[in-house]
Amino acid sequence: MRLFKYLTAAGAAGLLLCTTALATPPEDTLVVGLSADVTTFEPANISSRDNANIARHIFGTLYSIGGDGTVSPDLAENLEISEDGLNYVYTLREGLTCHDGEALTAEDAAYTFNRAKDPANGFTGNTPGFVFSSIGFQSAEALDDRRVQITLAAKNPIAFGLIAEVYIHCKDSYEKMSADEAAGNPVGSGPYKLASWDKGSEVVLEKVGEPAKMQRIVWRIIPEASTRTAELIAGNVDIITNVAPDQIDAINASDIAEVQAIQGTRRMYVGFNLSDAFKAMPGGDAIQDPAVRRALQYAVDVPTICKQLLNFECERATGLVNAVNANKALTPYPYDPDMAEKLLDEAGWPRAEDGTRFTIRFQAGRGRYLNDQNVVLAIAQYLEDVGLKVEVDMMEWASVYVPLLRERNVGPLFFLGSGGALWSPLYDMTDLAKVDAGTNYTHWNDPRWFDRWTDIANAKTPEEQRVIIDEMLKVFYEDGPWLHLYFQPDFYGVSNRVDFVARPDEKVYLFQTGLK
Amino acid sequence: MWTFIARRLLQSIVVIFGVTLISFVALQIGGDPTYLFVSERATEEEIAMVREALGFDRPLHVQYLTYLANVVQGEFGNSLSYRQPAMEIVLGALPATIELTIFAMTFAIALAIPLGVFAALYRGTPVDGGIMTVAMFGQSVPGFWLGIMMILFFGLSLGWFPISGHVPFLMPLLEGDFATAFANLPSTLYYLVMPGIAVSFYSLSRNARLVRSSMLEVLGQDYVRTARSKGLNERTVVVHHALRNAWLPVVTMIGLEFGFLLGGVVVIETVFSYPGIGRLVFNAINQRDIPVVQAAVIVLSVVFIALNLIVDLVYARIDPRVKL
Repeated sequence: MRLFKYLTAAGAAGLLLCTTALATPPEDTLVVGLSADVTTFEPANISSRDNANIARHIFGTLYSIGGDGTVSPDLAENLEISEDGLNYVYTLREGLTCHDGEALTAEDAAYTFNRAKDPANGFTGNTPGFVFSSIGFQSAEALDDRRVQITLAAKNPIAFGLIAEVYIHCKDSYEKMSADEAAGNPVGSGPYKLASWDKGSEVVLEKVGEPAKMQRIVWRIIPEASTRTAELIAGNVDIITNVAPDQIDAINASDIAEVQAIQGTRRMYVGFNLSDAFKAMPGGDAIQDPAVRRALQYAVDVPTICKQLLNFECERATGLVNAVNANKALTPYPYDPDMAEKLLDEAGWPRAEDGTRFTIRFQAGRGRYLNDQNVVLAIAQYLEDVGLKVEVDMMEWASVYVPLLRERNVGPLFFLGSGGALWSPLYDMTDLAKVDAGTNYTHWNDPRWFDRWTDIANAKTPEEQRVIIDEMLKVFYEDGPWLHLYFQPDFYGVSNRVDFVARPDEKVYLFQTGLK
Repeated sequence: MWTFIARRLLQSIVVIFGVTLISFVALQIGGDPTYLFVSERATEEEIAMVREALGFDRPLHVQYLTYLANVVQGEFGNSLSYRQPAMEIVLGALPATIELTIFAMTFAIALAIPLGVFAALYRGTPVDGGIMTVAMFGQSVPGFWLGIMMILFFGLSLGWFPISGHVPFLMPLLEGDFATAFANLPSTLYYLVMPGIAVSFYSLSRNARLVRSSMLEVLGQDYVRTARSKGLNERTVVVHHALRNAWLPVVTMIGLEFGFLLGGVVVIETVFSYPGIGRLVFNAINQRDIPVVQAAVIVLSVVFIALNLIVDLVYARIDPRVKL
């Protein structure tokens, strides 16, 4: 009996000691709940959005891109582009320092670029893999203490925006570190530094400069969506990402948080794989005809999919460019199944006796995009309603679908989303910059699109460039390889105590976020 | 006994070889993992370079034999995601899972035995019915559902326990930081309550039923009747005579329980954002981080083999009829 009493008292005391676990974060601390783990702080290996969101607080960039798409100076105060478009000279601001106390100069900036490109380092992150490939980066050189020159292989109209994604880091520290050490010891010049990293659990950043409203930002890894929501409603986290549509009402009904739904920039589409390998497949021959592809544009009720399955009235797509930069003369295809049927009949694919026009396989990865499984099934049903027999093939995303996708071997229909931007239509269009581009999963090769890239590069004025872009987008709208769907919305759960405003480009930058 | 141990250690080498081979083949079935480690804009040349750098361009048997040769020398490779030694990452996550598993096992055993005994002693009564109903529920309900319900009720509605997270005890203890370890201990236990119960509920239910069956069999034996006839009180009959013999199949089950729980923590660790080896391996499989998966398989195999050996030794100690 005495033992029982003792144990009860000890247990109660223990619980009392532990109640701090349930407290609201301190007033100088912001807590963010992320869905995916962080794997590295090596700036040239960072590729995931969650990882990049944290890293951006540690590292500065030469220029930065605002939530509205404006590109503005950050570490650099000025940019000069040579006449031939090959050399970009950035002038750094005065008085910049690294977290190790050393001055940040043009030499550090040049080192950053050259280090990321060096094949001996084997980096595969966003910088070497995406940015450098896209802009044709050749080399970087410090012209003096404050001016760094970035040299490209060819003139590139979107280089200025992509260079803004490169994290500038500090040569002195990185030269002393091994690859392993660099992965866990980032030395940048951003307003925050890495205070601690408990792998799989949380990352803690501490303020070291401006702009930074909060002294500390804690990024907690909470993979399960309902757990993230519970933590937000309990008041233990301030912001959560990737709120599932079915949890929006629960968050909004709480007194402690609300959901910020924002129209994102990710282009969601059904791709038509037009390669020779798929021509022989059922349905693969049908979709070779632009008239059939155009007919299917009318078959899918995109607004209803958005409203019912995503709980949002999505921006409709007329092509691959975000609406703010799209061809304003084009309007989204309306949902008109009668028109779809009429056009399919005219294209030479009438319904057979069993009501089927043709059979086609529709492949998709599971669990990558918002409610993707149900969206795919809904699209399949709409296509069945106009006479297609659709064989849906849902696959595990990372290890099954992605390899097939990267081999450009998904189809004949496939569901995919591609990250976009607001700062230039060309950024969105470069998914299909070349016929053999890795991101041309459709194998589309219409010269009315691909031959015009030279014209864009040679355009003398932005207005001239715009005319070419609009012409290309019209071709894409009418005869392109995508069934245009929507731009994916993003849902953030935000505590009522913070003044966070979500961005449309999936970036979570908290420099200006503080308490209300 | 030493011969027995030596024989088991030799057998364990074969087992470890087998599990690494099976896991290697399983991970390769999904195709070339290179694409998960390159940007979507990477050119064919860049993809080929990365494929070569990661070793995926070599024939599968060469990859596997090279891996085995390195393992023998204590080299387990670098994680493809973290770019750090794979074994270091796995061993870093292991203490959290051991904490969870020990908590779950202790909870399961501590409750299963009295519940099973009471159910047996009050067989056919509402006490027995109630315990068995709960046990059946425990064996039927999915662990992840139970975890989410506990989060919503005990974590969110009542606010009794933290919804997610972990406070380390074993890791600082192993690092020699005893002050931090024991200062953390109350919080560690506090954070373990919900995930520990979610993990252990199935085990608790199964073991309660096993103890009940075992006790019922033993309570019907002649020597128990004799003990009662001698005038011994019921507590002595049950604890010193019946339970001692009912214990044997339970010991076998408990010994395997740790390994079973270790394998079952994946979902619970994800639901509770618990940074253990289960979640690490789940993510590594999704990301095709082969070195991490292989390192985890080796570590878990060693743990399982060691536990099996301990169970056999304990069993031989408890039951003099058993010879090693």
